[in-house]
Amino acid sequence: MLDWLRFILTTLFLVSGLIILLTSVIGVFKFNYVLNRMHAAAMGDTLGILFCLIGLTISAPDIWVAMKLLLIIAFLWLASPVSSHLIARLEVTINPHWHHLPPREDAPQEEAP
Amino acid sequence: MSKRRSDWESRPQARIRKWYREGFLALDNEIIDHLTRTTPQPPYTEDRLVAQQEEMASRQHERTLALERLDQHNVLAWARTRGRKAISRFYVVLALALSALMIFFLLETVALMPRFGDPATPGANIVSERYITKGLEETGAVNIVAGMILDYRAFDTLGESTVLFIAASAVLILLRIDRNKDGSPVQELIAAESDDRHYEPRNDRILQGSAMILTPIILLYGIYIILNGHLSPGGGFSGGAIISAGLILYLSAFGFEKAGRFFTNKTFTWVSFFSLMFYALAKAYSFYCGANGIPSGIPLGTPGAILSSGLIMPLNIAVGMVVACTMYIFYALFRKGGL
Repeated sequence: MLDWLRFILTTLFLVSGLIILLTSVIGVFKFNYVLNRMHAAAMGDTLGILFCLIGLTISAPDIWVAMKLLLIIAFLWLASPVSSHLIARLEVTINPHWHHLPPREDAPQEEAP
Repeated sequence: MSKRRSDWESRPQARIRKWYREGFLALDNEIIDHLTRTTPQPPYTEDRLVAQQEEMASRQHERTLALERLDQHNVLAWARTRGRKAISRFYVVLALALSALMIFFLLETVALMPRFGDPATPGANIVSERYITKGLEETGAVNIVAGMILDYRAFDTLGESTVLFIAASAVLILLRIDRNKDGSPVQELIAAESDDRHYEPRNDRILQGSAMILTPIILLYGIYIILNGHLSPGGGFSGGAIISAGLILYLSAFGFEKAGRFFTNKTFTWVSFFSLMFYALAKAYSFYCGANGIPSGIPLGTPGAILSSGLIMPLNIAVGMVVACTMYIFYALFRKGGL
């Protein structure tokens, strides 16, 4: 019974994490602006990996492996948002028009002279 | 993108907003600039013939330019509409076909590979059997891989460390920006400094806070991996890479000035030099002893203890230092052209 419960929980977490990762990958390829892409990538890096690692933690064979996985979660949650923040900051630093013009998909194409 | 932006900027709304944001000063400056700008004078040519020739040449040039622009426009228009669609469709088909082909060949290869742990494979010959059965006894390392790369095949590892060092030296030759002879910075260095100050995260509180938490942990973890190299998976290369990642994090959080207090070009030179020299001398000694049948006098210790397995731990430390210094200086060179 307990084994089944564990298996179902693990599967649920892993599958939801993988779905979030898939969404983030699609977003990275679909969006055409840095900040949008960064948002998608950061979502996969935090929430998707969190769910995957929680699933692995539930299915861990002993307490030490589970604690190591929790440490990995802590590390990733400390490191990944900071890197997203740095990407956003770089975009804001080098692009002076970032707050004027949200680029859109349906914007008119530029014409050659 | 840039054209859209410039269009937007030339619109009255944008001008009004600019005026509203930046005050009168920018507008005044523009007016003054417009009034005081001198019109460029044509070159002084008395000879009419020369003038005519020049005019003809310039017309020819303009005609060529117009033709080129037309061509470019045609090509771009095609590429934007039909060509783009066709190419993207072709690209999708090609990508799918290539992926399917790749998957097919890889699966084919996997199917042809020998089973895992099969004793009848050509890899499982007398050499690997010797490593597995006598490795612990001869090298004293619980981690067979460490015993292999730092004892049986230590000469190969010395070559790898030297390759890293040579790569660092080559990058140093190519990318390093030297100062003038009197110590004043050259123009390139000033440009690199200003770029660095402008684009790199400087005094970012979020990055600094997380770096203050993470850097000691990363460094400790790297040291653990290096020191535990003969007992568990890991060793000099991976531990050195982790240490250099910690150093790079510190550098990008706190800048070159603070990192320069403990790591300069001199540090890189001496640490790499002494590590490689120590490695070469230690292995030369043990190879000499082994070739001539002299007992080397280095105790192997009890397997599993942290101070065991003879030379493997010091060699791991040497390799780790070389790797850490090399990767750190790579980062510094590519970012600013020197430490």
